[in-house]
Amino acid sequence: MHQGIAFRTAYLVTGSAEDAEEAATSGFLKAYQALGRFRRDKPFRPWLLSIVLNEARNQRRSSGRVRRLELRAAEERRSGDAAPSPEAAILDSERRGELLEAVARLPEQQRLTILCRFFLDLDETETAGVLGVRRGTVKSRLARGLARLREDLPDDA
Amino acid sequence: MRDLERDLRELGLAIAVPPTPDLAATVRDGLSSRPPAPRRLRPVLVLAIVVAVGVLAGLAVSPARTAILRYFGIGAVHVELVDRLPAVEPGAPLVLGSEIEPAEAPFSISVPTALGDPDAVYASGNVVTLLYGSPDRVRLLVTEMGYSALPSEVAKKLVVTTTAVRFVEIPGSDGPALWIEGEPHLLELPGAPARLAGNTLVWVPRDGRTFRIEGDVDLDDALRIAGSMR
Repeated sequence: MHQGIAFRTAYLVTGSAEDAEEAATSGFLKAYQALGRFRRDKPFRPWLLSIVLNEARNQRRSSGRVRRLELRAAEERRSGDAAPSPEAAILDSERRGELLEAVARLPEQQRLTILCRFFLDLDETETAGVLGVRRGTVKSRLARGLARLREDLPDDA
Repeated sequence: MRDLERDLRELGLAIAVPPTPDLAATVRDGLSSRPPAPRRLRPVLVLAIVVAVGVLAGLAVSPARTAILRYFGIGAVHVELVDRLPAVEPGAPLVLGSEIEPAEAPFSISVPTALGDPDAVYASGNVVTLLYGSPDRVRLLVTEMGYSALPSEVAKKLVVTTTAVRFVEIPGSDGPALWIEGEPHLLELPGAPARLAGNTLVWVPRDGRTFRIEGDVDLDDALRIAGSMR
C-alpha cells in the first residue's frame, strides 16, 4: 500500500534505483520491527516515510557518491514539436534542469523539506512528521529554501 | 516572478523515477500477514524451503549461477538470500588480517564484558576481529566494522532458504539486529576469501559501527554477549 511512495521517497534522496530499493526494503523491515513503538494516535504514513527517509540518507552517505536525479526523457522530445505545448509555455526543460540543480545545491535540511512538500506533495503537517520537526520549523525551512532558490536561479527574461 | 512553488511541484512530476520494484516479498508478507509478535523475537524471515547446499571441493567462488533472490542490508553487512551458495574451498585457513594490540585498532574497540579480554585481536582495513580461543580452535569471533564509505568494504553474507534469518533485539540497544541460524551461510569479508559461517548475530549500535558475533552459541548466549559490549 505504501510501497510506491516509500520507493519514490528513497529514490529522490538516493538517485539510484538499487539504493532506493534497499533503503525502502530496509525501512519497511525496521518499521515492522519497531511497530511496538509506533503511537497509534499518529498517522502511519509520515512515520513510515521518516524511517525510509533515514535509511535512504544513510544509503546515500555510505554509497559515497551523489547521483543526480534526471528528468523524464519526454521532456527532451518536446523541443522538436512544431507548436509549443501548453506545458512548454509554463516551464521549459532547460529551466527545469536548472531548478533541479539548484534544489540539489540546497543544504540538506532545506532540500529534504522541499522534497517532502513539493516532490512528494505532502502537506506541512505530514512533512513535519516525516522530518521529525515541528510545523513551524517546516515553514521556516521552506521559506529559507525558496528564498535561496530564487537567489540561485538565473533571472527570467 | 514565476510561481516557484508551482514550478517545484511540476518539477517533482517531471523527475524520472523508475517503476517501483516489488519490494522484497518477505517484507510484504511479514507486514501484511502477521502483527508483530509481542515477545522479544519477531521472526521476519523464517525460510522453509529445503534446498541442497552445493559446497564443491577445490573450486573458487563461482557466483555466476547463483541467483540472488532477495537482499537487504544492516549496517556494513549485506545479507543476500540465494537459491544456492557458491562453492568455497573447504578447510581454508581463517583469514582475519594481522594480529595487533587492542590500542592499535583503527578505532576504539568494544569488548564484551561477559567474556573478558579476547585471546587475540586482528585488524584488516576497517574490520577488527576479537578472537576467543585459538586460530585452530575458534570458540567465538567478535567482529567490529567501522563506518565505511566504500561499497568494497561491505561484508556480504549469502544465505540459503534453509537458513533462518530473524530480527531480534539486543538488551540495552535499540539498533537493528539480525540473528542468522541453521544452515551455514557464506561470509565474504573485505580482504579475506569467502568462507562458511555458523550462527551469527549482527547488529548496529547507535554509533554507526557494525558488530557481529559468530560461533557455537545459541541466541540467548549471543544476546547476552552482545548486551555486554562496552
